Amino acid sequence: MTIRALVLLTIAFLAACQSLPDDAFRLSESALAVREIQTREYYSISDAAILSASTDVLQDMGYAIDEIEEPLGVLSASKRADATTGFQALGSLAMDSVRCVFTFMLICDGKNYSKLDDVQDIRLTLISRPQLGDKNNVIVRITIQRVIWDKKGRLSEQQTVTDSEVYAAFFERMSQSVFLERELTR
Amino acid sequence: MIKSFLLGALLLLGACASNNAVITEGGSPVQIRQIQTRTYDTLNKRETLRSVLATLQDLGFVIDKADYDLATISATKLQDYQIRMTVTVRERDSERLDVRANARFNESPVEDPRAYQDFFAVLDKAIFLTLHDVD
Repeated sequence: MTIRALVLLTIAFLAACQSLPDDAFRLSESALAVREIQTREYYSISDAAILSASTDVLQDMGYAIDEIEEPLGVLSASKRADATTGFQALGSLAMDSVRCVFTFMLICDGKNYSKLDDVQDIRLTLISRPQLGDKNNVIVRITIQRVIWDKKGRLSEQQTVTDSEVYAAFFERMSQSVFLERELTR
Repeated sequence: MIKSFLLGALLLLGACASNNAVITEGGSPVQIRQIQTRTYDTLNKRETLRSVLATLQDLGFVIDKADYDLATISATKLQDYQIRMTVTVRERDSERLDVRANARFNESPVEDPRAYQDFFAVLDKAIFLTLHDVD
């Protein structure tokens, strides 16, 4: 009995201490594809002008600039935004209502609703660097992360964004800003 | 039985205890620096730092701080877990640069040499690509 108790406690102890995954510092199989999604080339522009155009784009989207280091072409920014979706909210409210009715009003604690995503903190890094072969061209790579909090302020999810549509939309705005930047500096 | 549970509970509490010792805790400086440092004689400081940035982005990190003069980059990776990493580049002599990386996984320092071997293997590739003019 004592051994069993010790084994149980050891398992509990190990579960409490999540260990570093083997692949934490290894390139994933999708790393190359993700890199392509996150990268664009801009021609006939300096990396300083790209940073300036990027700042404008980020301000357009309501980001605050957290870090900018021109010699390395680094720009990091963040914003807090709404994370709720109407569909999710309706589903949770419906489930809570059904539970409330079926338990004859005994359990009406809104448990599902409280687990809903509420707000998200979005952080991104943009790195611009002159193309190795041609210094007049600039390669821009963006990585985006987000942390989602539920209605009770608990951590719901943290992830690196790899959705290609998000990056495509960002670069669409970026292209417009680069065009304006070129016009300004002409 | 109760004694075992008490012992186990004490063990768990001990593992999670928050005290002043954690502020200055750490292993042997020589050993830790050895596993966290690689010496490169290939690129200059700027290109080495750019290679570090490319490596961190490849590994899914977002850059928290970057300072060219102090040659220091801090970054965070968020998945089901959190890794915070700081990489510094320092001139060893006129031809060689030391790159040192240290990481924390959730609340613990990463001390497994294999983790740093993996990191430097990715950095080696990034440096190789820069050296051979491949974007």
